[in-house]
Amino acid sequence: MSTSQPQADPRTDQLLAIRCQLGERGAFDALIARWHAPLWRYLRRMTDTEDATADLMQDTWLRVLRGIHSLRDPERLRPWLFGIARRVAMDRLRSAYSRRTDDEAVLEEISAPDSDAALEADLASLEGHMETLPVRERETLALFYLRELTIDEMAALLGVPPGTVKSRLFRARELLRQKFQQAGATI
Amino acid sequence: MSLESGSLQNLREMAGAELSVKSRLGYVALLLLSAAMSTVVLSLWLTEPTLAVRTQWAFGALTVIGLSWVALSVWVLGSRRTLFARDRVIAGSMAVGFTALFVVGAAVAAVLSGSRAAFGALATGIVMLGIAIGALLSARRRYAELAARRAALEESLRNMSAAELSARRTKLQDGLRGIPRDSP
Repeated sequence: MSTSQPQADPRTDQLLAIRCQLGERGAFDALIARWHAPLWRYLRRMTDTEDATADLMQDTWLRVLRGIHSLRDPERLRPWLFGIARRVAMDRLRSAYSRRTDDEAVLEEISAPDSDAALEADLASLEGHMETLPVRERETLALFYLRELTIDEMAALLGVPPGTVKSRLFRARELLRQKFQQAGATI
Repeated sequence: MSLESGSLQNLREMAGAELSVKSRLGYVALLLLSAAMSTVVLSLWLTEPTLAVRTQWAFGALTVIGLSWVALSVWVLGSRRTLFARDRVIAGSMAVGFTALFVVGAAVAAVLSGSRAAFGALATGIVMLGIAIGALLSARRRYAELAARRAALEESLRNMSAAELSARRTKLQDGLRGIPRDSP
């Protein structure tokens, strides 16, 4: 599994956020260039298709561009961005629930592994296994390992106590371990 | 082109449209013009004693139209074309200039005609000018605060880079010292 983003000095992001708040056009380009790929990978794990991901990305960035002027703590740019992406994804899930009465069926549909042959071939990889996890666990793992958010940052982003984050993380690891064991591999 | 990089390209285009300064300032101009128009029409409507019923209806309709434009501009500027610190300073300057012009015009009309409508417009114009000055001062304060934070961060990052370079140079020198002179 590759790490998804370089661990740059947090002041670099803070500076980027402040330049955006000032209204520097180049700063927005830099912001998009820097955060597009990590947000894409995060949202990709919460959607079935790349088209759906692209759709969520557009909504996420619209909200970012329209809301960054009111970001109070520019040093919290990273959790703020992922918070927006998460809300966009959750809003989409909610509207999916409202379209169908059978909520559980929708959840299963969202979290089920893609039956596409190419993805079946990738089941040995960690990312393939992650996609088989329920949305909540998948998101927790993605935030912790791929986005490298701290427990406290994740707690703030998800709106739950740090203890809950830890227990979700524990459960996610266990589920992932079981998936690997079932596939005859170890982690 | 993968969907991910295609999405990046789309986002850049979308950002270009979203961040258009012309569009933002256009809405600021619309807000100022519609507020001025509503003020003039409302002043005439409320202060002219002998207006025909049809004229009163016309003034009422014009006021509603003007206030609708005000509401639309406020909504767009608040949620769709939000103003960044630099835009707010420009918008504040536009507002001060425009309302000052409006006050001068209303004052001239009040002195020359002595009509109650002109005095009403003048009073409203003065209130609008006060609000515009307040908005400009607040925008300048915010801009200065953000610019100071940017300068401090840039300075801090520059110093860190210099410190990092120096640390690397020292490490390299230490490493070179460890190599015997007669080694190949």
